[in-house]
Amino acid sequence: MNKEEISRIEERVRKKLNAVQLDCAAMPAGRVRFSGDGVIKIDGLRNAKYGELLDVGGVAQAIVLGLNENDVDAIVLSEEDKASAGMIVKATGRIVEVPVGKKLLGRVVNPLGVPIDGLGQIKGALRRPIEAAAPEIVDRGKVDAPLQTGILAIDAMVPIGRGQRELIIGDRRTGKTSVAVDAILNQKGKDVLCVYVAVGQKASSVAAILHTLREYGAMDYTVIVCSTAKDSAPLQYIAPYSGCAIAEEFMYAGKDVLIVYDDLSKHAVAYRAMSLLLKRPPGREAYPGDVFYLHSRLLERAAKLSEEKGGGSITALPIVETMAGDISAYVPTNIISITDGQIYLESDLFHAGIRPAVNVGLSVSRVGSSAQIAGMKKVSGKLRLDLSQYRELAVFAQFGSDLDGNTVARLEQGKRTTETLKQDIHATLAVEKQIVLLYVTMKELLKDVPVEKIVAFNAEFLTYLELHYPDILQSIRETGDISMDIGITIEDAVTECKKTFGKE
Amino acid sequence: MIAENKNVHEGKVIVVSGPVVDVLYDGTYMPKIHEKLIVKIEQGRYVPLETFSHVRSGVARCIALRATDGMSRGMPVYASGEPIKVPVGESVLGRVMNVLGEPIDKKGEIVGAKQLSIHRKAPEFFEQAPSAHMLETGIKVIDLMAPYARGGKIGLFGGAGVGKTVLIMELIRNVAHEHNGYSVFTGVGERSREGYEMIRDMTDSGVLDKTALVFGQMNEPPGSRMRVALTGLTVAEYFRDEMNKDVLLFIDNIYRFVQAGSEVSAMLGRMPGAVGYQPTLATEMGALQERITTTKSGSITSIQAVYVPADDLTDPAPAAIFAHLDATTVLSRKVVEQGIYPAVNPLESDSRILEPRIVGEAHYRTARNVQAALQRYAELQDIIAILGMEELREEDKSIVYRARKMQRFFSQPMFVASVYTGMEGRYVPVKTTVECFDEIWKGNADRYPESAFYMVGDLDEVKEKAKGL
Repeated sequence: MNKEEISRIEERVRKKLNAVQLDCAAMPAGRVRFSGDGVIKIDGLRNAKYGELLDVGGVAQAIVLGLNENDVDAIVLSEEDKASAGMIVKATGRIVEVPVGKKLLGRVVNPLGVPIDGLGQIKGALRRPIEAAAPEIVDRGKVDAPLQTGILAIDAMVPIGRGQRELIIGDRRTGKTSVAVDAILNQKGKDVLCVYVAVGQKASSVAAILHTLREYGAMDYTVIVCSTAKDSAPLQYIAPYSGCAIAEEFMYAGKDVLIVYDDLSKHAVAYRAMSLLLKRPPGREAYPGDVFYLHSRLLERAAKLSEEKGGGSITALPIVETMAGDISAYVPTNIISITDGQIYLESDLFHAGIRPAVNVGLSVSRVGSSAQIAGMKKVSGKLRLDLSQYRELAVFAQFGSDLDGNTVARLEQGKRTTETLKQDIHATLAVEKQIVLLYVTMKELLKDVPVEKIVAFNAEFLTYLELHYPDILQSIRETGDISMDIGITIEDAVTECKKTFGKE
Repeated sequence: MIAENKNVHEGKVIVVSGPVVDVLYDGTYMPKIHEKLIVKIEQGRYVPLETFSHVRSGVARCIALRATDGMSRGMPVYASGEPIKVPVGESVLGRVMNVLGEPIDKKGEIVGAKQLSIHRKAPEFFEQAPSAHMLETGIKVIDLMAPYARGGKIGLFGGAGVGKTVLIMELIRNVAHEHNGYSVFTGVGERSREGYEMIRDMTDSGVLDKTALVFGQMNEPPGSRMRVALTGLTVAEYFRDEMNKDVLLFIDNIYRFVQAGSEVSAMLGRMPGAVGYQPTLATEMGALQERITTTKSGSITSIQAVYVPADDLTDPAPAAIFAHLDATTVLSRKVVEQGIYPAVNPLESDSRILEPRIVGEAHYRTARNVQAALQRYAELQDIIAILGMEELREEDKSIVYRARKMQRFFSQPMFVASVYTGMEGRYVPVKTTVECFDEIWKGNADRYPESAFYMVGDLDEVKEKAKGL
């Protein structure tokens, strides 16, 4: 090699080197300076975006939640001991995404979309960011189709429509999760996909739910997003958003989806922990000021889309746990003010044997009634108001002197209605059977059946109908309505059934 | 949208903390407080900011009006040189806008409208024109116990899910339809579904043509929710001041304005006040409420829903709002539990104009009698619980029975709720309301059973219903 050649190579190398822009400020990597309680502070990372997913030393993931002049605040999604000071942090250019689509049906994933059911990887699924904007006002449609939960008390008095958000609220052990699980079970064969999101639950409880769903064949159309109590607060915090992204994929494909968030009180607690660790000042009950926005932006994503947008829907059933029946605490009232109604389960009723323990006076549904089918509307119209008036009257009447005939009749009717609305868990009722039972109640046909035998009679009557009048149930199912002729036949059937009732 | 030309002052993002963004300018330019700035995130995606404070030389602290996801340090910020301006005047009637005055109803641009800043001064003292006329609503419990004043400020207080929005919709139906002027509806931090239903109902009933709608709902970041009330108010003010109209201004829900302010307060570097609210709660509310007033040029009758967090009326936010109102209607959960709708608590609601000089002697006297009877019943309840009805004096017994009838007679089927209740709504003129309650109080309706008074319009209907029982 001669000198000339060497200098030519040298020149070319210099040119190449000069072409390289060295801008330290734009360095896409940083270094962890502080790590503790799941919060990390990172030097560098000039280009980090708000909400971006970070890779911490190749062993952990974190989300950017604050861009300061000299450093970046982030929360660690994996176990907090994985991120330690000195680790190199890289920006990924993505925000947090989860796999979505049909491949997830039947699976149990963690909030990052990683399967935890031991059934292998989910390959080739589409991905969706967990945070997304709610549908615009003009892209929405009218909630006009019912979402049958199969629970008589709910479908009759606090009906839920597809695209509605209905809160399930009550103390611990009042059957909140059972209501939600029954609602999922009842979607079998109704072309509704379901997503169950567990937030900070006991792992064994989620396993039990998975077992129930499998047993009833409900996993075919269901995805479980599971964050358990052992997961870090940030992971619990993102769980509902992940679940919602999975549901959104189906909704934008024109499907109807039911999503259960179990439960948002634990979600608020996880967010409170995170916020306080990020040194954001506490407000009422030590929750940060934006705890309302935390849930409002989540629940607003559940909607019914207009026909132009495909007409899909997400029906959300968030669950909230109260303390000692206090539904006027901070987080419960926040969520009540977001949802389109609430189902309030009361422990006094639960213990008195009235299950599902729905407190009629405090439960409402703001949109569902317009989505009820015609037959249901006819038989359930005034049920809720009558029943709450009955409860009030019952309290007043116990101090009572001699009651007039009208009052006695209303009390008797109220007792029978209450009995009719009792239902075991996982024993969902088809809508045509619900209509028949309510028709019998509304027409007060069971005045001569003792109150304690109402439940037994109703069960026998439904079997009797199936055997002797199958066409009645079929007709209600097909037309969605109850005609006068059918009403008369039902009245006859009740009379016939009473003759044999209790004889065998 | 502002073009990226050389004449626009350019700064850059240096701190992003949720909805709060710090912007650095080179020192030759400093955006004014309330000036609108724009950050370009990527092609076609801009985040508008409003300058809130100057934290040090060259650094402006701003509130983002859209989500800041994807924003990074060093991004360019363009100064607009003016505050947020929104279209006003007749061309916004029948339209739906967001906080920035951009149409969100897919009906194209709002053309030919004058643009006004959303930050304006309240009318001067000498311009005030207090009013003393009653506004009939057709809702028995409101007209009798807490009558609304024309040109006054009215608050509907209630915790979550007690029926504020249904009541406000019923008021729109009963009042806006009969009203000759214009209406402005502002949705602040409420459900998007309700926004959708509001637009649909207004279109169906034909009031949309004389109504302007502004929405910043609960899915939007706090910056948008804390400014959208001002957008709606600016539209209403223009109708009042420049077009000399009588305007109906509905705000659902004014509490969300305070709440949004408290969400950003800490990030703005302020110390928290009572219960974590912003220290400026009272002054912010005052500045807003003083703009909603009736002047010599025109009137604004405002009906504001006020969310009561955790059912606690002593919470600093509702407490700060109470002082500004002429009439308050308090909805309570105890009344909801009894199945009585609208769930107005007649003993807690009141009105400045409930005096004989304004509503007339008969109305005033009847309202006070009813109030006294209900109060007596409330006191007797404990005695009944311990001793039973039997132990009461005859006189008290009849008060108890009449008070219970009055309670039920306060319930009323509402037009907008007919899908839930299966009952057609009732509009009861105030004259009928006063007469009916007077009859009940005098004992002329003692012979009808209690349940006949539930969910009916007037006494004729009670008689009719009693026959069926």
